Amino acid sequence: MSVSSSTLSRSALDRQNEQGRTRLFAEFFRFDLRYQLRSPLLWVAAMLFALFAFGATSSDAIQIGGAIGNVNRNAPGVIVNLFANFSVLGLFVVTFFIAQPLLRDFEMGTDELFFSTPMRPRSYLAGRLAAGMLASIAIFVFTSAGMMLGGVMPWLDPARLGPFSLSPHVWSFAVIVIPNLIFMASLLSLLAVTARSLLSVYLGVIGFFVLWLVASLLARDIKYDSIATLLDPFGTRALERTMRYWSAIESNSQLPELTGYLLVNRVTWVAVSVVLLLLAFLVFKPQRRRAGKPRSKRDSINTLSASRSMTSGVSAAARLPGARFTSTTASSQFLHQLLFDTSGVLRSIPFLVLLGFAILNLAAGSTFVDDLFGTSIYPVTAVMLRVIQGSYSFLLILIVGFYAGELVWRERTARLSELTDTLPVPNWLPVMSKIGALAAVVIVFMVIGVATAIVMQLLRGYTQLELGLFLRGVAIQAVPFILMGAAAVVLQVVSNNKIVGYLLYVILIVLQIALPPLHLEHNLYNFAGAPETPYSDMNGYGHFIAGWAWFQLYWTLFTAMLVIIGAAFWVRGVSPSWRGRLRMARNNLRGAPAAMLAATLLAFVGVGGWIFYNTNVINEYLPSNVALDRLAHYEKAYRQFKDVPQPRITDVKADVDIYPAERRVEIRGRYQLVNRSAEPISDLHLTLDPRVRFKDLQLAAAELVSDDALVGYRLYRLRQPLQPGASAEFTFTIERAERGFTSDGLPPSSGAGDMRSVLNYNGTFFNSMGMFPHFGYNEGVQIVDRNERRKRGLGDVPRMATLEDQAARQNMGFPDADWITFETTVSTSDDQIALAPGYLQREWQQNGRRYFHYKMDQPMLPFFCYLSARWEVRRDTWNGLPVEVYFDAKHPYNVDRMIDGTKKSLDYFSRNFSPYQHRQMRILEFPGYARFAQSFANTVPYSEVIGFIADLRKPEKVDYVFYVTAHEVAHQWWAHQVIGAGMQGQGMLTESLSQYSAMMVMEKEYGREKMRKFLKYELDRYLRGRGGELVEELPLMRVEDQPYIHYQKGSLIFYRLRDEIGEQNLNRALANFLRDKAFERPPFTTTMELLDYIRVETPPEKQGLLDEMFAKIILYDNKVTAAKSVKRADGKYDVTFDVSTAKVEVDGLGKEAARPVDDWMDVAVFARAPGDAEDKERVLFLEKQRVTPQTKQITVVVEEEPYEVGLDPYNKLIDRIPDDNRKAVN
Amino acid sequence: MLEIRNINKTYGNGVAALRNVSLDIPAGMFGLLGPNGAGKSSLMRTIATLQDPDSGTITFDGIDVVSEKDRVRRTLGYLPQDFGVYPKVSAHDMLDHFAVLKGFVQRGERKDVVEGLLRKVNLWEVRKRKLGTFSGGMRQRFGIAQALIGNPRLVIVDEPTAGLDPEERNRFLNLLAEIGEQVVVILSTHIVEDVADLCQRMAIISQGQVLMSGEPREALDTMRQRVWSKVVPKAALPEYQARFTVLSTRLIAGQPRIHVYNDAAPEPGFESIDPDLEDVYFHRLRQQFAGRPVSA
Repeated sequence: MSVSSSTLSRSALDRQNEQGRTRLFAEFFRFDLRYQLRSPLLWVAAMLFALFAFGATSSDAIQIGGAIGNVNRNAPGVIVNLFANFSVLGLFVVTFFIAQPLLRDFEMGTDELFFSTPMRPRSYLAGRLAAGMLASIAIFVFTSAGMMLGGVMPWLDPARLGPFSLSPHVWSFAVIVIPNLIFMASLLSLLAVTARSLLSVYLGVIGFFVLWLVASLLARDIKYDSIATLLDPFGTRALERTMRYWSAIESNSQLPELTGYLLVNRVTWVAVSVVLLLLAFLVFKPQRRRAGKPRSKRDSINTLSASRSMTSGVSAAARLPGARFTSTTASSQFLHQLLFDTSGVLRSIPFLVLLGFAILNLAAGSTFVDDLFGTSIYPVTAVMLRVIQGSYSFLLILIVGFYAGELVWRERTARLSELTDTLPVPNWLPVMSKIGALAAVVIVFMVIGVATAIVMQLLRGYTQLELGLFLRGVAIQAVPFILMGAAAVVLQVVSNNKIVGYLLYVILIVLQIALPPLHLEHNLYNFAGAPETPYSDMNGYGHFIAGWAWFQLYWTLFTAMLVIIGAAFWVRGVSPSWRGRLRMARNNLRGAPAAMLAATLLAFVGVGGWIFYNTNVINEYLPSNVALDRLAHYEKAYRQFKDVPQPRITDVKADVDIYPAERRVEIRGRYQLVNRSAEPISDLHLTLDPRVRFKDLQLAAAELVSDDALVGYRLYRLRQPLQPGASAEFTFTIERAERGFTSDGLPPSSGAGDMRSVLNYNGTFFNSMGMFPHFGYNEGVQIVDRNERRKRGLGDVPRMATLEDQAARQNMGFPDADWITFETTVSTSDDQIALAPGYLQREWQQNGRRYFHYKMDQPMLPFFCYLSARWEVRRDTWNGLPVEVYFDAKHPYNVDRMIDGTKKSLDYFSRNFSPYQHRQMRILEFPGYARFAQSFANTVPYSEVIGFIADLRKPEKVDYVFYVTAHEVAHQWWAHQVIGAGMQGQGMLTESLSQYSAMMVMEKEYGREKMRKFLKYELDRYLRGRGGELVEELPLMRVEDQPYIHYQKGSLIFYRLRDEIGEQNLNRALANFLRDKAFERPPFTTTMELLDYIRVETPPEKQGLLDEMFAKIILYDNKVTAAKSVKRADGKYDVTFDVSTAKVEVDGLGKEAARPVDDWMDVAVFARAPGDAEDKERVLFLEKQRVTPQTKQITVVVEEEPYEVGLDPYNKLIDRIPDDNRKAVN
Repeated sequence: MLEIRNINKTYGNGVAALRNVSLDIPAGMFGLLGPNGAGKSSLMRTIATLQDPDSGTITFDGIDVVSEKDRVRRTLGYLPQDFGVYPKVSAHDMLDHFAVLKGFVQRGERKDVVEGLLRKVNLWEVRKRKLGTFSGGMRQRFGIAQALIGNPRLVIVDEPTAGLDPEERNRFLNLLAEIGEQVVVILSTHIVEDVADLCQRMAIISQGQVLMSGEPREALDTMRQRVWSKVVPKAALPEYQARFTVLSTRLIAGQPRIHVYNDAAPEPGFESIDPDLEDVYFHRLRQQFAGRPVSA
């Protein structure tokens, strides 16, 4: 009886407690929510996010989310991406709203008031957490509203807006925003209850964020893909993986499916969050932790003895000296204060934490920099400097901003200012020493970065240490941060309010970032802005450093003025009103400061004027939108002349004088022109890059009708029209000279193959397209971006001629020439070698210059190049023909691979395709202002940054140096022997065939295993490429200028074709094609003709497949869904696996239609020792089997215990989820 | 030595902190007495070059304090009412830092100064300890050490004994007394005893005005035979306050004992007592706000 009554009363008590707890929770929640909603910071953050979201949806100035090309601005995929980005960004804001309430009482000292009440700590924690969550969600509701509002702005192009739908927003909240908030809240509360200070929580968050960045950096390589998607607590990687191959239509119409990686990721992290949260609740103890250590016994003894001696009088102390003030006192004091503040920063925890993360980030970043096909490069100093810039020094923007506030307020925060303000130091001293301290911190930080980079170099066995270059490099990087630090100090001093000071600093950064996208690109008004200073091992900092130095001098002078003015605002003692401060500043500025200010202003204006003269008078300042306007003007005005017959250049003779030290080239050229058309030509449309100047020009009896200097277009009318078949001569003298410097340093690259700085002190490289005059309309410079076109009223992107357009077969893609004869004399300074296509006839010296006379012995493409540099030369021979590599002394690593690759390529191609048409092969290194190799007749310029520094010491890596070399050598056949008409499919004839040829050479050298590795990257790049298509994806044989198709898809298709019909047959088709089409005159060949040759060699049952590969876009979705094996009595194994197959045909915009599967696919069973990697596997069974929709299960018998089975395990078919083609046997 | 003439200061919020303050302060200890918010700190800050008066002049030894701040600062030692420290810096390093900023840029000379002062204020043993671990008294001694760097001729200490226990307070005042012989030491406080114990001269300031200045002894003399004391019932207290100039009320064993200022015995039961400085202080304040009760 008594027992039951006691249980009764206990449960009644419990119930009461339960209610009390709920009430308490509700009270904490209510109170805190009200507190949060009243906090201006919440609304500021919400408005900021909303504004940012609005900007991202309604303008091009902010580009996140991936609304490009045909993807709508409000496409579901874009909205989801935006939310994912904002969600990660939100971490920094949310920290405040979630951690601050938990810590508020500890920070404000109200904790003892709260925790002495009989409340439950868990209700307290839960209530505040819930309120914080709700407040954070409010921020994202505003973000959502910002996006929606941005999507209905009247200035938006209606063609880029889909119908409005709420579901992407709801989906994003449910799948991304809220789970991420739950994760952040749990992480933050755990941090908050353990660290108990907002600063530590922020440090923890920064730490977490950097770890996250490092992890995503480490996981950049394809092979870590699946693990990376799971490890990312924000789900962005999983989202990216789900959406990475999406076409425009998919982005516009669908939301990611909540399955697979995304689902696993979300579930995992919600579970992790729950655990973290539970931990936080367990750890949370409301008791105050005593600050400081208990005082030791010794201390109390000291105090005692102190009191004794004190009462007994202290007169024993000797008379102390007084201070003497001399002219150097102030500077000594300055130095001392500077060191004192510097060591304060260097020893402070936030700095050390940031430094630690920066070092970690640098170490991680330097491990994977510039990987290509998973192969890394040598960590040369120039590359390490780039990594320091990209993943290390940017943290200084945070450090100088934060510590500017800390240092300026250091004395006041420590309540020391009343003391320090009365010290006999000049007014400028505090401000100057704090700026000096920030500069010192920047320098220390940079030196540590260099040390880290050197350690990384040594760890990777690289010992060519270039300390001097490191120091120069980090000095260049340090300057803007020092200027930013000085500006941040001035902002703090003048605003005289820490928060306002920080806010102004953030505004300064936002301005720096936001001005260029608004086409305010000149560095004269972008604080601390200067031209880029790309470093090349060949050319050093070259001519870039001068412009940089002038701009930094300009900004240093500007900052000096700021500092002089700022120092006058430095408040000593009680801060007067604003009017009082202005008066004070005016007083402080009198005398010497005013004189200094005037002198600095004078220098500033002078330097600014000199810069303006350089960038805007002798050079042209061209914001990117104006540059595009010009291209638009060119197209509008002159595209009408596209098909007007022009004479053909049949012979080129040129004397080219390169003056590397002056960055000048002068060309005296002579073209032989022939009218190959059927009608007389009287109008000559002459185009010359506007940066090149005609010094002289002779065209028999022609008058200049119009001259459009902005785009370099001239119209000449011949008094006597050039009759069909008649020829004429055109002689000209042109000059291009780079004088002074520009605001941007490097002009923006127009894309692949665009060398951004052609005239250099060491490493001049230009080609005939950019430097020589041409006839006719140049389609190459048309704007391709649809949106830029639409803005300029240009209509749809002009497309290449279709395969069916017979008229287009008259051209090989050059408007004014086909096969030409070529002879040139090129001169350069006496320390350099100058090269051009052709064979060296004679070399001589004259007037302190070196001359080289080159002559080509047979017709070649009308596309030639000139290079001049100080090179080392390595010479070898192939069948008696010279094979040479001209390389920089710093880059000897892979020269032998290049020679080997060249020789093996020449072997394979001449044996399987046709003889090599030239008597030499040369590879020429050029500065890394572009990343490509390019094949001219018997001459291949090759960028220093692709291949020359590839680290090929590990044999399991893909040797892309060998591969790229083979590709370029293959162009001597595919382009230089046979070239397609300038129409759809030309890229397949030059690039895809070169890809195929190079793959064959590589496979012979390295085996099929390596090819799989290589093709995996090609597949990924193809699938990503089609997702980023701006216009329309085309089938391979109709490829326009679409690298992801003619390179990557070309590799995949030709490799599969080889697999389907055999290497012999395919090579025979190519050889026959070459035999019939090499060096042909117009009409030029097409992919249709090539396919005819291939068709002949293809068995009848695979003719349909040819159509699918070349004329359609086909994607597969094959997978093994289950696999098991049973050991038989005879010791063999029955392996049975369930498969699922699908095949779709996709149209140019990504719309998919199902097609029945009827293909021959690899069916395979593999064995692998436990713990071995995939490249150690052994094939137990491999056979091509016909797979149809009826194929649901496959059974094979193998001799050994199987590890894994596969359907198309080598990914020869284009499959968006290649990894599920294999499955381990249960 | 220090002449303060007609200085006025009104803050932006309309508070008149100093109203026509004039004082002559010779060498020696000078006590500045006044209730919280009287303007003591404003006056001290003004003398310490931390804020400018709206009008009036301050001259120290021929130096115009307002316009020649730098010269004043070279000879100034200032211990503000409430100052902090960098908790992670040791006493020695911090004092060394101050010494440089006070003009001791020569290392050897500075070493002597810093060591001498650390010994003088008896922090030598703990010089390597971080300031964050110091007790209030030690911190205050550190404060005086920094104020004494370079033998200042003008020393300003603002409420230095607030929050110190009696022993520390004694120790601190002894230190002050020792230096306050050839130089001007201005000691601001609201604790009457501090002034009574130490200062040759003093001033009482309230609501920004100087109520009196002179020697404490003279002030006491004027009050002699005019201060009366009595224990009164609690209930009768308001009546006494209405009828007489009650200088102070203090509870003795739960019963209020009042001090009354009157030329003769106010009523039977009052006994005459020797005035102390506190009585002087409250008398001056009473004169300023006639009829407003103040309790000590």
